[in-house]
Amino acid sequence: MTTLWDTTGKEIVEALSAERRSTGAVAFGLVLTLVAVVDERNVRSAIDAATTASMAHPCRTLMVVRRQPEADTPRLDAEISIGGTGGPGETIVLRMWGRLALHAESVVLPLLAPDAPVVTWWHGEPPPHISHDPLGVLADRRVTDSAAAADPPAALHARAHDYRPGDTDLAWPRLTGWRSLLAAAFDACPDAAGPVTVYAERKNPSAVLLAGWLGPRLRSDVAVEDSAGPGITEVRVAAAPGAGSEVPLLSVVRTDGRTAVLSRSGQPDRTLPLPRRERGDLLAEELRRLDADQVYAEALAAAFSLTELNDRPQHRRHVWRDIAEAPSERIGEFLPGVSDVRATGGHTDPSTVEETAREMLAADWADQAKAAAAVGDTTAAP
Amino acid sequence: MAAAGYTNPLRDARDRRIPRVPDPCALVVFGVTGDLARKKLLPAVYDLANRGLLPPGFALLGFSRRDWGDADFSQLAMESAQKGARTPWRDGVWERLAASIRFVPGAFDDDEAFDTLQQTLIELEDSHGIHGNAAFYLSIPPPAFPTVLKQMQRTGLADSGDRGWRRVVVEKPFGHDLASSRDLNQLVDSVFTADDVFRIDHYLGKETVQNLLAMRFANTLFEPIWNANFVDSVQITMAEDVGIGSRAGFYDGAGAARDVLQNHLLQLLALTAMEEPVSFDADSLRIEKVKVLGAISLPSDLHAYAVRGQYEAGWLAGERAIGYLEESDVPADSTTETYAAVRLGVETRRWGGVPFYLRTGKRLPRRVTEIAVTFKRAPHLPFPVTDTQELGRNQLVVRVQPDEGVTMRFGSKVPGTAMEVRDVSMDFLYGEAFTESSPEAYERLILDVLLGDATLFPRNLEVEASWRVLDPLEAFWVGSQPERYRAGTWGPAGSDAMLRRDGRAWRRP
Repeated sequence: MTTLWDTTGKEIVEALSAERRSTGAVAFGLVLTLVAVVDERNVRSAIDAATTASMAHPCRTLMVVRRQPEADTPRLDAEISIGGTGGPGETIVLRMWGRLALHAESVVLPLLAPDAPVVTWWHGEPPPHISHDPLGVLADRRVTDSAAAADPPAALHARAHDYRPGDTDLAWPRLTGWRSLLAAAFDACPDAAGPVTVYAERKNPSAVLLAGWLGPRLRSDVAVEDSAGPGITEVRVAAAPGAGSEVPLLSVVRTDGRTAVLSRSGQPDRTLPLPRRERGDLLAEELRRLDADQVYAEALAAAFSLTELNDRPQHRRHVWRDIAEAPSERIGEFLPGVSDVRATGGHTDPSTVEETAREMLAADWADQAKAAAAVGDTTAAP
Repeated sequence: MAAAGYTNPLRDARDRRIPRVPDPCALVVFGVTGDLARKKLLPAVYDLANRGLLPPGFALLGFSRRDWGDADFSQLAMESAQKGARTPWRDGVWERLAASIRFVPGAFDDDEAFDTLQQTLIELEDSHGIHGNAAFYLSIPPPAFPTVLKQMQRTGLADSGDRGWRRVVVEKPFGHDLASSRDLNQLVDSVFTADDVFRIDHYLGKETVQNLLAMRFANTLFEPIWNANFVDSVQITMAEDVGIGSRAGFYDGAGAARDVLQNHLLQLLALTAMEEPVSFDADSLRIEKVKVLGAISLPSDLHAYAVRGQYEAGWLAGERAIGYLEESDVPADSTTETYAAVRLGVETRRWGGVPFYLRTGKRLPRRVTEIAVTFKRAPHLPFPVTDTQELGRNQLVVRVQPDEGVTMRFGSKVPGTAMEVRDVSMDFLYGEAFTESSPEAYERLILDVLLGDATLFPRNLEVEASWRVLDPLEAFWVGSQPERYRAGTWGPAGSDAMLRRDGRAWRRP
């Protein structure tokens, strides 16, 4: 491992090559670059998660830690390690102070693994608009975690407004166990489903997403109710009206966060493992596929009554915002989740989020149309 | 099982996160106290349960001669799983599995025991909702097959009518030669339909073996050179450092050629030499494999190009190893081989003239399985001879185990002022090899049996084609003495001579 204090991007690139040679690593099977945007207090947990993920997908991990963006002097520190505790690939932890923190891409761009896909993952609160963050604009896949926000369902709602193909949220892989179980239960359940109720901890974003997935597919209404948790505790599918039974058609109950009981009318109860998963696991699942997840987009759309998220353009135009123009008490909006920021960041007003998202979408549609027109392609008009 | 025409509204072809989970079913293991069951099968079942890949209704039944109850078998299963599981141990997962474990004591010719087995399965349909689906894993010695199969036929275990599927899983060896394998196939097919018979060659469940297909058919890089115009020879090696241990009972009657060459090595040869299938479903793959296995030719001079060996006492990895004839239960006059090497040809336009050297042996210095494709030298090298003296031939090596990955060897300039060219090996390790997180072969295969996916299971025709290659070799070797080689060396001298005759040498893995 090499540590560089108060260094430059160029030195980091050179140190990376030197590190490679000194560890004798001649060839890597690098699959992608993982750019992790992390807050200082969470660096350890983010490294652990990235290590788990990189075991399955050898990659170059760049941890971007933004600190004190209002500091007077910019400064860059780096820790470079290859193999070792960071996993089989290369791990570089970049700490940026001052205005540099808002231009992380200047340091990150030359460090991206050549010609490989880029996945950007925000460990903490998702940015309300990814177009504001160049690290999101340059990524082929973007992974957010709405559960890390102060108001997770609102953050997920913002994700829906801001959605582009290639975005996912960790609320979705958190549902994979539930969805597998429910799908397996429905493999042998030909009866029509009635109304569905999802019980979950207050403000659980995965519950909202689960409702969005189940509703259109079962052609039923899905309600989300509060429970003591942890996480999602129960999914109850009532029998279709007129089926003449008070007993639910199917229910999956998990109260201890580990084991689920699947009950079906007319069949004995079945216990199955349904553990809550670690972040590293979730991330590894996200990295398995680098194309857009249409099923997620459909569930997200249904959850918030939007349509055709899958038809949106993949391209995002970077929208520059000069933090120098921002009043100090709103600096938090520019860098959500950065704990060092002295001013208390404002949580962006939901209606502003929607409006801004719509503006950006319109701008990106226009960009796409212009590019298509330039090559004489008339099929790409929105 | 739901009525035909029913589509599950929660399944979507575009949803690649939800795994395919088998129908509710029972897995019945015959010979559950044997080595294979304890070391591979039971841990694999635990791992599948831990990964959430077993259906909500699942039951595990053991059948064996022990005078046990459910709890005793459950204890054995738990110990085996704890010792051999790949995924972390979770008590909760085990508890749930343990609730669905049953044991039926009995001998293979015991009518009553089989009736009890049938009864237990029927009970499980109600208590565990297994819907009449059952897979029978026969981890039993070959002589017991006819008895067990007849019992299954008599009790109706093999056929549940409309109520669900019934499948049988058999382990190699599939017979002793072509005639006996045909008889075995006929017997099995008379009790189960051909589609319900799954022959396990666990090599095909390995990630690296499947990756060979991905490498060949998903890329444009290798296909143009994968033929006799560019390939000089192919060496397929499966070396073990262990001796026969306590398996003399089975091994002495079989030998290395029947144990490994007839199945694993010929399967690897088939995957290396086959033509591209039009799709990756079981039938398309099988067609190509049968085609290439049918094209294999034996050398006309078997004396020179088929070698058998038998290990004698030596030192291996710092420990003394006894010779084969000194192993327990091996007769002092045994002519069974523990090493077999042969040169085969593949008579197709793609491979005509390219020798395929296959070898396998026990008590070799290292445990390694690999496929090495050596390419021809360039017809003209513009460098002065002295500068390229160190240059060998380009090679592409697929390491099946250990250190799963691919090695490419090519010439590179030696740093310095002169233009000297030397071979350099570039090693690619598959990412998954860094942890033990790639599924074990048996997990994959058991899951496929329960799903009914036959892609990784050789069918009758493949097995028979493989015996057609081996039978003449075995006939040639009858009554001959295998050449001795010291444990801890790479095999008998005759094997090196075989390649030297062709101007080549064995690659040292």
